[in-house]
Amino acid sequence: MEPVRSQINQERIEAEPPLKQKKLRKRKSWVPGLLLLVPILLFLFGFFVVPMLYILYLSFISTDSLSGAGAVYSLQNYITLFTDSYYLSSLWITVKISLLSSLVALILGYPIALTMAKSTPRMRAIITLLIASPLLVSIVVRNFGWYLLLLPNGTINSFLMNIGIINKPLNLLFSELGVVIGLSNAYLPFMVLAIVTSLYNIDPSLEKASAILGASPLRSFFSITLPLSLPGIVSGCVLVFSLSMSAYVTPALMGGANVPVMPVVVYDQINNLLQWTFGSALSYVLLATTLISVFIFTRAFEKSKFKEVFR
Amino acid sequence: MNTTVSDVEIKGATKQFGSNIVLDAIDLEVKQGELLTLLGPSGCGKSTTLNLIAGFLEADQGDVYIKGKKVTKVPPYKRDLGMVFQTYSLFPHMTVYENLNFGLKLRKISKAEQKEKIDRVLALVKMSGLEHRYPRELSGGQRQRVAIARALVVEPELLLLDEPLSNLDAKLRHELRLEIKRLQKEIGVTTIFVTHDQEEALSLSDRVVVMNAGKIEQISTPTSIYKHPKTEFVFQFIGKSNSFEGAVVAIDSQKISVKAGEEIVVVDYDNIIGEDRDISSGDEVKLYIRPENIHIASTRETSAPLELHPATITQMNYLGTSWEIDVSLIGKSLQVLTNDYDSSWREGREVFVGWNPSDLKLIKKE
Repeated sequence: MEPVRSQINQERIEAEPPLKQKKLRKRKSWVPGLLLLVPILLFLFGFFVVPMLYILYLSFISTDSLSGAGAVYSLQNYITLFTDSYYLSSLWITVKISLLSSLVALILGYPIALTMAKSTPRMRAIITLLIASPLLVSIVVRNFGWYLLLLPNGTINSFLMNIGIINKPLNLLFSELGVVIGLSNAYLPFMVLAIVTSLYNIDPSLEKASAILGASPLRSFFSITLPLSLPGIVSGCVLVFSLSMSAYVTPALMGGANVPVMPVVVYDQINNLLQWTFGSALSYVLLATTLISVFIFTRAFEKSKFKEVFR
Repeated sequence: MNTTVSDVEIKGATKQFGSNIVLDAIDLEVKQGELLTLLGPSGCGKSTTLNLIAGFLEADQGDVYIKGKKVTKVPPYKRDLGMVFQTYSLFPHMTVYENLNFGLKLRKISKAEQKEKIDRVLALVKMSGLEHRYPRELSGGQRQRVAIARALVVEPELLLLDEPLSNLDAKLRHELRLEIKRLQKEIGVTTIFVTHDQEEALSLSDRVVVMNAGKIEQISTPTSIYKHPKTEFVFQFIGKSNSFEGAVVAIDSQKISVKAGEEIVVVDYDNIIGEDRDISSGDEVKLYIRPENIHIASTRETSAPLELHPATITQMNYLGTSWEIDVSLIGKSLQVLTNDYDSSWREGREVFVGWNPSDLKLIKKE
């Protein structure tokens, strides 16, 4: 028995050093990679984490106590927010407008993405440029452009009244509709690019397989292409929804006082009313609403019957 | 009578992509119940031919008939075919069962009938019990089995296979090849198989169509493709071959004598390949011989009926079942494939090589 055991031991001893070396080499190889990330990590910490934590801290200070000697910590800001119907309805408007903007961007963006995925590389480059070009124009400039179109005596209303479809101007501007038009337009490129990425990843032979099994092009689209592009649809909707939830310029200019979305209310509280602590609480409720909505939305798809698509 | 009915007929099909002619007026008939292989190098037009039959491409000229019906302009989803692709092409968001049921659902049959058909075809491809797996959870070989089952479950008029084995490793490829052959014989479905792998084509098919540069070179049984190639391309493409050049010095009704280097080689008159069989004295010709048709021996006496020529071994490669030996015969390099191996053979050793005149093929040089 003895010689056999010693032989095994020997093998073990011989086998171990290379293993250790391998581990060491592995560790060394990712250290320089991490070093490259140090500047951005420092930047994010200083200019994102610290201010966010500071705002969170502020949100727990009672509004009245700031003028006095010592700060009083309480949940008073949050209680006010959730008991005052003005703020609750502002939150609801924000969510509603963001949902509608995502939906409009999806309905308008999907056909563009589909066209892009099916076109030649040259055509694809041209469409990408066209889709992305609005991003080159300042959002403020674009908003004033929409003004001219949407005003009660603007281009669209004059046209509709001239051909007799309507007899008094539609409330396109300073209404929720105006904000949805503005936001879905502004964030359309994100939707299109997200969907087109997942369309590119679909093996073209799947559509052939579907056709040869007897599925018409329409049937193939609904059974194969659409479900397999769900990851793109979900990420596009998440992008447009989150961006819409936090949008300030477009709702402020297109909706004005008629559409008090949360970012506009927060701005008002902090800049006009100097209610820093209440404004901070509002910001955090907005952030939490966005995160929870996005989480529920993505989770719903990842648990759905299409869960296999998200792996 | 039944076996002579054509299931597929292609008449004068031409297809052009830009200025590139991929198919040049092709005529092809596929008989009922046969397994026909389209074989050729990439770009020869074999996949284009299959796509014309499937309906994914439309010929610029010519027509396609399936079971006597003209389908040239019928879209693929109305052709009632089964097809297996190189990349498996299983729907990743559907289980094995849902993949198989996809075609059945479109055919509006009862749930019980769907299940019965699926169970039967899964047993056929030896995949029973894996109905609820997703394609991601299957190995490459299993995926291709499911893909074959999905094509068969709808009981198609034709089964089209587009290089279905080329993504698998050698062992699995061989296993699935046998499986496809067995299934095809069992079901009797007319099958068209596209491949660039000659071994696959020769071992599987009832008939092989060798294609090159958009044209059909030869349509024949595997043995006759290998033994009686009609064109120089077929001879070179299928199997290995040695070639040397020479000039005709004498000719009679049965034999042609060719002077190659210093040697006079005699070829049977029947062994002329190619269109041009009009050979006369003084013509420049090329001679071909397969490596396995060259006999090799240590001494002159061993194979008496053949005329043996002294040669020198330049390289020896062991292939497992046989040896591949390169020899130099008066400055010409020849490859020999043999099972009779003499352990005294070394690189640089002198041996004797010879061949049967009936194994030499001759083609007139352009």
